[in-house]
Amino acid sequence: MSAGTEALCSHCLLPVGLRSTRQMLNGESCTFCCYGCSIAYQVKQGRGEESEAAWLLIRLGVGGFLSMNIMLFSMLDYTGTFVGADAKVQPVIHMLLWIFATPAMLILGGPFIRETFLEAFQGRLTSSALIVVGTGAAYAYSALAVFENSSHVYFDTASMVLMLFTVGRYLEAAGRAKAARDLAPLLAAESEMATVVEGKTEWRRAVREIVSGTLVRVRPGERIPVDGTIVEGCSHADEAVMTGESHAIEKSPGSAVIAGSINLDGPLLIRSSGAGNATRWAQICRSVREALVRRSPSQRLADRIVGVFVPAVLLLGLATAAVWSHYLPFDKALLTGLAVLVVACPCAVGLAAPMASSLGIGLLARHGCVVRDPAALEALARTRLIAFDKTGTLTSGQARIVAIISPTADANEVLARAAGLERYSEHGLGRAVMQEAAARGLAPAATQDVRAVPGRGIIGNADGEAIAAGNGELMRELGWKLEPELAERVKAHEASGHSRIYVGWGGVVRAVLALDDTPLPEAFATIDALRRRGLRAMLLTGDLPMAARRIASVVGIGEIEAGLSPEQKRTALDLRRREGLVAMVGDGLNDGPVLAAADVGIAVGSATDLARETAAVVLPPGGLWLLPYAVDVARAVRKTILGNLAWAFGYNFIAVGLATAGLLQPVLAAAVMAGSSLLVVLNSLRLERLPDPSAEGLREIAPADLETAIGDYGNVAVTAAR
Amino acid sequence: MTYYVVFFLAGFAGSFHCIGMCGGFACALGSDPRGTAATGVRHLLYNTGRLTSYVFLGGLAGAIGQVICTSQGLTVSGSGGDVLDLGQRLLAIVAGLLMIAMALQFFGRLPVLHRVTIGFSGSGFAAALRSLLTVRGRAAPLAFGVFNGFLPCPLVYAFVAQAAGTGAVPSGVLVMASFGLGTFPAMLMMGGVGRALAPAWRQRGVWFAGAGILLLGLVTLGRGVLPAGMMMVHPA
Repeated sequence: MSAGTEALCSHCLLPVGLRSTRQMLNGESCTFCCYGCSIAYQVKQGRGEESEAAWLLIRLGVGGFLSMNIMLFSMLDYTGTFVGADAKVQPVIHMLLWIFATPAMLILGGPFIRETFLEAFQGRLTSSALIVVGTGAAYAYSALAVFENSSHVYFDTASMVLMLFTVGRYLEAAGRAKAARDLAPLLAAESEMATVVEGKTEWRRAVREIVSGTLVRVRPGERIPVDGTIVEGCSHADEAVMTGESHAIEKSPGSAVIAGSINLDGPLLIRSSGAGNATRWAQICRSVREALVRRSPSQRLADRIVGVFVPAVLLLGLATAAVWSHYLPFDKALLTGLAVLVVACPCAVGLAAPMASSLGIGLLARHGCVVRDPAALEALARTRLIAFDKTGTLTSGQARIVAIISPTADANEVLARAAGLERYSEHGLGRAVMQEAAARGLAPAATQDVRAVPGRGIIGNADGEAIAAGNGELMRELGWKLEPELAERVKAHEASGHSRIYVGWGGVVRAVLALDDTPLPEAFATIDALRRRGLRAMLLTGDLPMAARRIASVVGIGEIEAGLSPEQKRTALDLRRREGLVAMVGDGLNDGPVLAAADVGIAVGSATDLARETAAVVLPPGGLWLLPYAVDVARAVRKTILGNLAWAFGYNFIAVGLATAGLLQPVLAAAVMAGSSLLVVLNSLRLERLPDPSAEGLREIAPADLETAIGDYGNVAVTAAR
Repeated sequence: MTYYVVFFLAGFAGSFHCIGMCGGFACALGSDPRGTAATGVRHLLYNTGRLTSYVFLGGLAGAIGQVICTSQGLTVSGSGGDVLDLGQRLLAIVAGLLMIAMALQFFGRLPVLHRVTIGFSGSGFAAALRSLLTVRGRAAPLAFGVFNGFLPCPLVYAFVAQAAGTGAVPSGVLVMASFGLGTFPAMLMMGGVGRALAPAWRQRGVWFAGAGILLLGLVTLGRGVLPAGMMMVHPA
């Protein structure tokens, strides 16, 4: 049974928890979290002759037949049909009711009795114990009454309570299946079948058996099972799972496709570029499966409360019956006690959290955001401060030239000469030079004898004179001096914290290229959206203070701590955590330990991080803009859970109060109880109606702000070029 | 007594409508290889299950009607000296309107309502029920009948409304019992010879049923609107 806690219910895909049941259905091993799911699953899957589902329906149907007859005769009895001349019939009617009720109790109550015993053996009392004790007492009393020829029997109460609970649990499970419909494709990813083409034949293979280079056919409407390139066919694909946005993206032979995206309108033949189980999609699905079986803190709390609640209610029911028996006939007192047991059944409390968390996790996963643990979702909802790492998180992580300081030489000539050297370089800063040269339409100057000096830069020969590009160290070693005016300008520029490339030829350093990381276009709007949600943002970075301050002002962050080692970052976080929950956003590569130290570690983009366990939330590459959406979902989930708990507990207290006072009929109590669970399910399903995230609003504002913010540096380049 | 005979006849007429959907089930229930008697028992069990559900719904509707009636303390004195409960009048109006709406649906009017009432039948539940049809044994047809009784059906709704309108459990039970028994002959026939019935005849039956329900609806509505004493007051 302990293995059951790690599994998901076959029907509603929620963690089965403690009251799991295992069943063999049509040769398949299924696990169910509750009786309702077992019914609903079988009703849904039940096809074919003599299936388990058919037998279940027969049992329920016969149980319904019996209890409806019991109810009918009892109703006629209550409304005084068998009085006066017909009074002689009454004992016969009661006997008839007993004959109907005995099999009805066994048929309808069987699953509840079984559950009670299974749990009791493990020393637990669950809600079904309340039902069994309550209805059992009503039945036993009535059976005695039949033989003592008493005028009151309550077979109808016993059988109707069971009937209502059965129907209620079925309806509840049917509602939960709506949530499962969204999660199912996520959980099925690896066991899904793909159509593999080998020569002229096509096979159905499990996705996890697919290796690199396999040809896979994907029909319109199907999910693309592997990463790869299109060999044949044109179509559109929805890559929401990777980009977060639902858009039809055109695909033709040669285009890359991503596993998990949906092939919208044309058949495709795809050559896979990797193993089927190594795709980001497969990793997302694995993470989601792991997350779903974890229990959130509020769920653990609810479970603990339920654990105490059931015995308490049992005692309360007994006490109620005992107290009332002093004032009322015994049978009426017994009914009052029964009403207490039935109405206090804490089914809704147990349902409050898991369904909402699962829906939230599923919702985010469909936009490429992986939440590793429901607890992270709850923590994100309560977070007040979000700390950002700079490089690769708020910035693109790729350098670009922001200024060319060249008092004497022409900027374009400097660039063309530098590009002539850097075209042979693998260095990131070298690429920035090539990009800028290409952007200005400059051809790299012809350069010979190019040689890289590790850790320094690169040197060569152009037009018969030596040329070098690299750091200050390289120039010192070469013995080249800066022109006086250049030295002055560089000094003034030093405080900015930009990376620098010195470019010189003919024995003199002629120019300095200033390079900087560029802020992501969506960073400003994302921070702004977070602020509008009442969240504070801060920058924690290992870079120089000036560089940090510049990026912070561009993206709109006021609070900065720069020049921190990873250790210092952790200390800074810990300091903030005293004031409330803190989330840390990083690229997941360099700040693993820092992410792990935060209350919620959020990694952007790195696929490797999906496999590692540092971040609790992983956004897709380029998915910084999804952060406000993730916060929205987390908050909606938390609000739903709190609403559910408030409803379930509030309802229970009022209803138990009414029942203890003898104001609630047991059958009515059962009906209202079943209704309350349904309400919790319906309330949770409202999460499905959350609007999809949209990047449009974010990207509209961003570029203009970005231009003004980096405009100063652009001007430097322009003035220098004159 | 005549009151319930009317419902029996209405049920009989209405059962031509049943042939559309429930008749299909009855046909699918098929025959028992053990002989004609066994087949008869099979169909009788199915119809008993169906009847039980109807009667239960009738009792429930009657009980609800009773609660509504007795919670209304107001009474209106009719000109003929009869006292008719205000709640009962309201119920009669609601029930009458419902029946008229259902009747119109039989003539192909109110397609919106049609979707509401029939929409469920394609659901997974109805599909799962089909698996019961082929199961041998006595319990399966009974269970199937019980569920069948709860499948959405405008005819049943109309009569449940009527049962609620009577405002008492016993009369509610009797209304649905007479209606249910009225559907017996046609539904039993479906198991055997009914399949040969021409579609034209079926259509005529449906119109006939619609007309009957329309008439009943008008009478019920009249009971709520017209001064007491002008209408036949039911025996409840």
